[in-house]
Amino acid sequence: MSDLAMTERADAPPDTLDGLIKGTGDGYKYGFVTDIEADEAPPGLDEGTVRFISAKKGEPAWLLEWRLKAFHRWQRMAPPDWAKLNIAPIDYQASTYYSAPKANSGPKSLDEVDPELLKTYEKLGIPLGERAALAGVAVDAVFDSVSVATTYKDKLADLGIIFCSFGEAVREHPDLVRRYLGSVVPQGDNFFAALNSAVFSDGSFVYVPPGVRCPMELSTYFRINAAKSGQFERTLLIADKGAYVSYLEGCTAPQRDENQLHAAVVELVALEDAEIKYATVQNWYPGDENGKGGIYNFVTKRGACRGDRAKISWAQVETGSAITWKYPSCLLEGDGSVGAFYSVAITNNLQQADTGTKMIHIGRDTSSTIISKGISAGRGQNTYRGQVKVMPRAEGARNYTQCDSLLIGKKCGAHTVPYIEVRHPSAKVEHEATTSKISEDQMFYCQQRGLTQEDALSLIVNGFCKEVLKELPMEFAVEAQKLLAVSLEGSVG
Amino acid sequence: MLITQESASYQDAVPPGGQPPWLARHRAAGMARFAAEGYPKRSQEAWRFTDLRPLTASVFPPAPPDPVAVDAATVAPHRLPCPSHRLVLVNGRFAPALSDIGVLPEGVWLGSVTDALRERPDLVAASLAEGEASLAALNAALFADGFVLAVEAGVTLEAPVEVIHYADMGAPAAAHVRNRMVVGAGGRATVIETSTGVGAGWLNTVTVVTVATGGALRHVQLQRDAAEAIHTSVVRGDLAGDARYESFSLMAGGRLSRRDIQVNLGGPGASVALNGAYLLRGSQEATFAPVVTHAAPHCRTDEVVKGVMQDRAHGVFLGTVRVHPGADGTDARQLNRNLLLSPTAWVDTKPELEILADDVKCSHGATVGSLDEASLFYLQARGIDPATARLMLVEAFAADVIDGAGLDEPIRDHVHGHLRSWLDGLEGGR
Repeated sequence: MSDLAMTERADAPPDTLDGLIKGTGDGYKYGFVTDIEADEAPPGLDEGTVRFISAKKGEPAWLLEWRLKAFHRWQRMAPPDWAKLNIAPIDYQASTYYSAPKANSGPKSLDEVDPELLKTYEKLGIPLGERAALAGVAVDAVFDSVSVATTYKDKLADLGIIFCSFGEAVREHPDLVRRYLGSVVPQGDNFFAALNSAVFSDGSFVYVPPGVRCPMELSTYFRINAAKSGQFERTLLIADKGAYVSYLEGCTAPQRDENQLHAAVVELVALEDAEIKYATVQNWYPGDENGKGGIYNFVTKRGACRGDRAKISWAQVETGSAITWKYPSCLLEGDGSVGAFYSVAITNNLQQADTGTKMIHIGRDTSSTIISKGISAGRGQNTYRGQVKVMPRAEGARNYTQCDSLLIGKKCGAHTVPYIEVRHPSAKVEHEATTSKISEDQMFYCQQRGLTQEDALSLIVNGFCKEVLKELPMEFAVEAQKLLAVSLEGSVG
Repeated sequence: MLITQESASYQDAVPPGGQPPWLARHRAAGMARFAAEGYPKRSQEAWRFTDLRPLTASVFPPAPPDPVAVDAATVAPHRLPCPSHRLVLVNGRFAPALSDIGVLPEGVWLGSVTDALRERPDLVAASLAEGEASLAALNAALFADGFVLAVEAGVTLEAPVEVIHYADMGAPAAAHVRNRMVVGAGGRATVIETSTGVGAGWLNTVTVVTVATGGALRHVQLQRDAAEAIHTSVVRGDLAGDARYESFSLMAGGRLSRRDIQVNLGGPGASVALNGAYLLRGSQEATFAPVVTHAAPHCRTDEVVKGVMQDRAHGVFLGTVRVHPGADGTDARQLNRNLLLSPTAWVDTKPELEILADDVKCSHGATVGSLDEASLFYLQARGIDPATARLMLVEAFAADVIDGAGLDEPIRDHVHGHLRSWLDGLEGGR
């Protein structure tokens, strides 16, 4: 579930939905900054910063060493330049790498939580307490960098499911963290993953024990708050043998004039017969009509199907951010394992997105499905970049890829860059792609039936994305549809 | 180090008869560019799948100018079975004794680059461009000869032009060949190039094609080089409004081969057909890299490329279709299909679309698979032995793209003959 519907359920004014669809002219809806005294690291990045973060979080020595190793790798790396993205140079020494809301010790109940924070959550519509029960969603709310309150923990704990902040996991379950951290995305995987490994602040940790089916959708909210503090989330999710979990991630960020860097890492591990569904709705501030401001979303997401018959499915709706660089991938190591990637990416105004997936077939009889829908409007640039690799031992591998692009307007661009690398003759790999525009006939037909231009556009776009939206959990799908309409506001007429 | 040696050979390569100053300038610029860039590297996106080690591991000095004894009987089996205007180049140099240009209609100029430098230097000059990259730059520095075809406006050249590149270089050596084809407004021509030979030479060709308004050029390239040979080639085409360029490439020879075809659709209504097949076995590697740029509205691209790989062979398809802003009404289709016949055969394919206009119809597809078990079973159930059934299915897979290329009958049969002779060499062949 994303924040949109949450707001609705909470104290949002009743006109919110109409406002969303028709456009209230208020600009970005979630553009507010909460004034909380932050406990910040001085701007800049050196070994001292890494040590500062680690000390601040009271981490064990092995984790500090792990961070330092990543930092030293990062120092020798260069930012990737192969994506079809135009990125202004980033001054990594100008950012702040740690900012935590002031707290003496961890809050034990809601009463102990800073009221300023609670108000922020209210504005975001995050249901704590009763709201959580109503919504049926356990929320590990991340406010800037430190987890403040975690709900539903006890209920999950009864089943043996661990769902907590990353920092807590390091304290309470060091063995699990140590065993799996960096096992899917190694420290030196790429420039941004290395940066994250060195300075990651906090994030979520999930462990579902063998044979357990997580009874509710797990959900985390990320919110970038303190000015200029990059957000470096780290998520580690492990589904043990035969376990099942569905995880939702949704994002909003306050409006800013300076680009903010977000370099998260998400690692998923699915053991034998386990299944992980990971859904994202990303609605960060995309910058204004002239491309000023907006988030840089440079994320490394990867899942490993480590056991036989394991399944990992990524579903994403990417509507925000000035620049998106993101390739949720699956390593299909176990025999008979299954990977899936469903994506809708929208770029409007001056947004740029270079996104896609990697499906690496390693085990026998592995299969993968990729459905990608790219929508470009305004002066947006949208690139699908995907890799399907069938390794020499991946007998019987199967992949089906479909990526469609929709163009709205004369100044946008849609690009498709698929890599298909096959090392085994029994593989069956298919790739299809089409590019088209919304035809005048379609628009005319809808308008003739009494729909406004914007409603007609929304209807056609939702139809185009249907195959992906149906893969989202229900509440998410409803909001995603509304989000599509909001994102395309002003792109026709 | 290797580059220094190439550079030294460039100093030796100035022809004895001298050369016009503009050519000397281009050669110097090409050498400077190559010295700065060197051979393409795998870190370059366009070369990431191509293993150039067979080329970079040894030195390939330009083939010496002394004529090589190649008789007509050696070349005869590679000739077209129909009347043609024939040029034969041996080790990259025009061999008049083996050639038979015949009688050309009014308004057609056909001959070697050496002759063109005397009679029509403008045609050669137009085949050189600023800023050529790596291998093309080296070609500019070192090319010894090539062929030139110019068809004037409104002229149709009925019989096909046939160009045979024969290589027999003994020691490792390179033949750098530069070709030029110009078809004037409403003109028509067909050119069939065949490359073949013996030994471990390197053939490095650059062909520059211009088709004016309403003109049409059909260009067939049959690559049957010796098993140890290396063949790199670049075709650069520029099409005006309503012009048409039809290209068919068969890549079935050589140890390492790479064909780059870059076509610019520069006028409204221009169209290009890029069809082809790579048939590979042993440890052959072939890269087929067509790039089409739609720079004008209402242009069309049709591209079907098929690959068959056996043993440890490696096929690479790198197709790009670019649509510039304003190129509305673009219609582009791109399809690459691959058949893997052995557990160790492999393929990399990257069909890329880059679209900056909205009123377009673009699609691409790529498939990789092995022979269909159900089809094999069907044939065997009808009494056909497994080996024959396999061959029938492979032939049908590849023949499809030959039939779809719209070639005239004698040429189509000739290409089918090449396919069949390749199939004869397949494991369990007939």
